[in-house]
Formats: sequence, C-alpha cells, structure tokens
Amino acid sequence: MTRISARYLGKRIVVSYITLLVIMTLLFALLRSMPGTFISSMITPEMQPEQIQRMREVWGLNEPLWKQYVNFMVNYQTGEFGMSPTNRVPVWDIMIRRLPRTLILFGAAFIVAYIVGPLVGMYLGWLRGSRKDKSIFASSLVMYSMPAFWLAWLFIWLFNYELGWLESTYMYHQFPQFEWTVVSTITNVLHHITLPLISLAFVNWVGVMLVMRPSMNNVTEEDYVFLAQAKGLSERTVMIKHAARNALIPVATQAIVGLAFLIDGSIIIEQVFSWPGIGQLIVNAVISKDYPVAQASFFILAVLVVVMRLLTDVVYTYLDPRIKFGEG
Amino acid sequence: MSLLEVNDLSIQYEVDDDEVHAVDGVDFSIDRGETYGFVGESGCGKTTLGKSLVHLLDSNGFIADGEIWFDGTLPQWENDRGEPRRDVIENDQYPVREDGKTDLAQLDNEQIRDVRWRNIALIPQSAMNALNPVYKVGDQIVEAIRRHEPNTSVEEADTRARDLLERVGIDPDRADDYAHQFSGGMKQRAVIAMAMACNPDILIADEPTTALDVIIQDRILDELDELQEEFNVSILVISHDISVMAEICDQLAVMYGGKIMESGPKAEVFQESANPYTLGLKNSFPTVKQEQSELVSIPGSPPTLLDPDPGCRFVDRCPFAVDECESSHPPMYDVADAEGGRRVEGDDEKSHRSACYRVDDLETMRTEASKEETWQAITQNH
Repeated sequence: MTRISARYLGKRIVVSYITLLVIMTLLFALLRSMPGTFISSMITPEMQPEQIQRMREVWGLNEPLWKQYVNFMVNYQTGEFGMSPTNRVPVWDIMIRRLPRTLILFGAAFIVAYIVGPLVGMYLGWLRGSRKDKSIFASSLVMYSMPAFWLAWLFIWLFNYELGWLESTYMYHQFPQFEWTVVSTITNVLHHITLPLISLAFVNWVGVMLVMRPSMNNVTEEDYVFLAQAKGLSERTVMIKHAARNALIPVATQAIVGLAFLIDGSIIIEQVFSWPGIGQLIVNAVISKDYPVAQASFFILAVLVVVMRLLTDVVYTYLDPRIKFGEG
Repeated sequence: MSLLEVNDLSIQYEVDDDEVHAVDGVDFSIDRGETYGFVGESGCGKTTLGKSLVHLLDSNGFIADGEIWFDGTLPQWENDRGEPRRDVIENDQYPVREDGKTDLAQLDNEQIRDVRWRNIALIPQSAMNALNPVYKVGDQIVEAIRRHEPNTSVEEADTRARDLLERVGIDPDRADDYAHQFSGGMKQRAVIAMAMACNPDILIADEPTTALDVIIQDRILDELDELQEEFNVSILVISHDISVMAEICDQLAVMYGGKIMESGPKAEVFQESANPYTLGLKNSFPTVKQEQSELVSIPGSPPTLLDPDPGCRFVDRCPFAVDECESSHPPMYDVADAEGGRRVEGDDEKSHRSACYRVDDLETMRTEASKEETWQAITQNH
C-alpha cells in the first residue's frame, strides 16, 4: 500500500530542487565576496601581469558577473565542478573519492543517534520522575553540554592513549604486510571508525532523546494509552506499540533540524580524527584558498541535507496517518 | 446471586506524603444484566471507583482496604466447565471464595490484566480520544480480541471486528479507516463495539455521553441498552449527568466526597429522595416535566479529601445539619423504615438507603429543600 501520491512526492522534489538553486546562488555570492579570487592561490610574486591576465581569462573571471553566475549554475547542474588549483585535478574526482567516506561516518552516526536516542527517550519518558529517569537524564545532559571536539579528545585520550583499544586517525591502517581480506578490512576500518562514530553520535542522540522523552511523557497521558492498558495488554506492548509509536512523530520533525547539526558536527569530527571525508576537505580547502573545492564541498553537503530532508518528509507521512497525502 | 460485590472499598492517593481518601468505605453490588449508576459532582470519587475495579488507578493511587468479589475466575484457575477448580478454592494462596467468587482487589498486575476487557471492559472518559490515531480502527478491535483469545486467527478476529462495528451502526468497511476519519459519535460507538469484543461480564462506561450532542447522546444510550439486552452484560455507568442516569439505570448510587450518600432502585432515589445532597443535586438540574422557574445550586464546594473531618462529608454545605452530623459520617439507613419515622440501618444493598442522621425527618427535608432560601441560609452561616 502506498500512502504517498506521485503528485505529493513530485511537489516535494520540486521544492527541494528550488531550495538547492537558492543555496547555489547564496554560495556563489558568498565565495565571490570573500577576499581574493579563485586564482589567488596560484599567483606567485614572480608572475608577469600578462600571465595573471591570461589566467583570469582561462578561469572566466573577466566575464561580467551575471555571466559568471549563469555559467556556474549551468556547470554545477551538469556535474561540471571545475579544476582544483592546488591539486591540479578535476574537483569532481576529489569529491567522488571523498563523499563515500563522509557518507559512511555520517550515515552510521545518523543510524546510531536515531536508534539510541528514541530508545533511551522512550524508557525515560515511560519511567518519568523515577530515580533511573533522573540520573540517566542528568548525566546525558552533562555529556550533551560538552563541545563535540572536546568529547572527542576525551575519547581519544581514554580509548587510544590510555587503553590503546582504538585508533584515532584516518580510516584504516596500512601495515606493510597487511592482507586485505573481507574480515580484516572490516576490523581495520572498525578500529578507526568507532571513535569518530561515537563522538559524533553521542552529541546527537541526546538531542533526539530530549525530544523523545517529553513526547513520550505527553503520550502516556493520552486516553488511547489508558485504553490500551484497559484492554489488558502487557506493559511492554502498551509502551512500544501504543505510546512510543505516537511519541515518534515529533522525533521525525526534530530529525529535519537534527540532520543539519549532524553534518555540522561531522565537519569538526572529521578534522579531529583526520577522517578523509568532505568535512576535512572543506577545512583544508578554505585554508589553502582552494575556492573550487570549497565551493563544491559546500554544495555536496547542501545536497546531502536537502535529500535527507526529503526522506524525512516521506518518513513523516508514514508515521502519522492524519497527514493527508497528495494534498496540501 | 450478584455478579460483583464490593465491600467496604477504600481507595487512597498518595500526594506529597499525605493520603487523599478518594473513596471511603463504599459498599454496592451489581447483578448480571443490570445497569448500575454512580452519579455525583467532579471529584467525588466515582471515576476512581470505576478504575479501581480493574486496578487502572494512576500510579500514586491504591486500594487501601476492602474487597471486590467478582463472580468469575481467571482462566488458569478454572476447570473445563469454566468453574473455579476445587483446589483453587481450598488453597489459601488464591483469593477465591467458597461460592466461586474471586477478590479482584487481591490480584497482582499480571492476573488483573487477564480480567481487563475479557471480564470487565472499561471505557474511559472522553472515549473519543481513546482510539489510537496511528492504527486502523478495525485493527485495534482485532488486537483486543487476540489478546484474550490468542487462538483466534487474524482473519477470524477481523470478521468479528467488522460485525461488531456493524452492530453499533458503523459501516463494516470503515474498519480500514483511522480514528480521525470518524465523527465524534462514531468514535464513541467504535469504542463501545471494541468493549464488546470479548463479550465481557461488566462494562464500565465513564461519562459515556459527555461531549456529545443531545441527539447522539440519546443514540449512544439506546445502543448501550440494546447491547445489554443482546449480550446480557452488566453496565456500570459513571456520570455527573442526572438525566443520563434517569434514562438507563436500574440501580443508582449518589456519591459525595468519596462516600455513597444514597442508593437504591432508580425510581425511588429520584422520586423519593431521602438525602439532603440528592435533593440539592436535583434542584440544580433542569427538568422538562416539572415547572421550575429557577435552578437552585448548592452553595460551597466539595470537601478536600485530604484527611477528611470525622463528621458527615456533606455537613458544611447541608442546610439540615445538626450537632450529631459533626461527630461521624452517618451509616446507610433504610429509607422504607425512615418513612415510618424510624431510623434503622439498612443491610440490603439493593434497597433504598440513605446516609443521613435526619433520615427520620424526611418530610421536613423534602419540603424545605425545594426552597431557594433554605440553601442560601448556609452561605450566611459560614
């Protein structure tokens, strides 16, 4: 059974597309208003003015601004991201290598945060006011108040430096005689991903829990939860099937905002753990004034947020049958 | 033999280290197929009473004292003929009595869950919000059936759910709809249909018609009446609305401050009211038959049930109070004897009884109670 009409989905896709166009326009304006130009990083003091002039021409910087804008919009929509002046390779090649790494870390953190958060929130909301609720809630709040990078350092100190269980840099380790079998590859990557993953997920699951807990609390006051109890259903069934299922609806709303925070956080976490993804790339590109790469990285992250929002929207309509599909 | 026999039931809520005596020493009994009504103001303990029968009180509420003898046992305590097993009756560890009745007050959480809905179905106040918004209405009925009859297949339960909906006047195809696609009256009827899913012995309906318009109210009451006939279910109605009670009850109990003030057959309680509170309550409701220019309300508000005073619960608002009323709460006196001027305690829970020390002076109370000045005098005294 499909609940979502093609018309509704089409509408959401069009809106997402327009959102991206607006983001691209902002990105264009932002990068052109920054000091220096796209070729600043390549100019050396020994260069003749004619050489610089030629470079400006090659990079299209002599065109009127509106034409630069049109070119940018057309190129980006056809997947033409230009060349990286520092790396001397097409930006697209860098992106395609970096994106999956970010997706792995971000996706895993997203799944962990949105499984752990609702689960903990469900229990705390159900046991509201109990000692268990109070102590777990208070300690998660303490953790939540810590900056992500600081928490990350704490984890590195404990699990890497003190205990030596986990790795704190890069995605995998290249030992000289390493045998790349499926199992060894997975354990190798797991050794590296665990710390950035929990650092990233930790800050975010609390955010989800903070929505789920009061939502669960409200739902337990509802008449349908009382009726579920009156029907003689077990406490577990009442809690999960009748209460939590309804309490999840606001979590889906939170996810729309939470996603942006998660991506935000992944830029910092990638930097702390030298995770070779888009987040690290952005920081490096900005420092080395590699404008084409920075521009493309921002764009890719924006696409990620917009696509995830679209998915959340779809999930939302499945969670709450009161939302009319195909209308509105 | 009565189906439910409640003896000296007291329910308390723990609030900040204090106990609120929400229900205090209540006795009543319900026969099979009978409709028993509890009427009273908000906060008089009637909802608490209904919920306590199946242990559905809020987490700070508990049964402090009393017995709830129910004619029926848990499935695991029954033999093939549905009667309580001999060894269960004789063994002291089970709350089952010689006549086969079980004390619901003594059941643990696990046990009472088997009684809920299968034996005693409770429809909460504002049943309109009692349907879960994210599941189809039919599926919610199926869930109830399969909870208590696990051997029933989903298809079979679904067919029964549709039959039940049709039975209360809802198109069976609407079983595939969600609650928000139903009107208020339909939701109420769907919940009633759900309550009948396991063919319970007792249906507790808490404010079944509140928040419905008069025409729908009437239909719901007719529906309950027909269902009672068909399923031979006993109905316990809880309402503040005297007119609802007048329409459907056989027996009626008037509650005030956690106590039953007057009880007995409906017609007697209504027409020959023998308690100042009942008389006052009647004054404050409009009637179609009687010519009554103005409604007279009872001044004051219900007592706080936190450590109640030893006297009659109604004494502060009663225009007929005498010194004796301050001493202790009156027992239930037999009204038939009182009509003859004698004050005798009544033991028969089915007969007309009233908790009032001045029950032997009925004529005075009845005449005075209809006058507005009588009630206004209390405000001046306090």
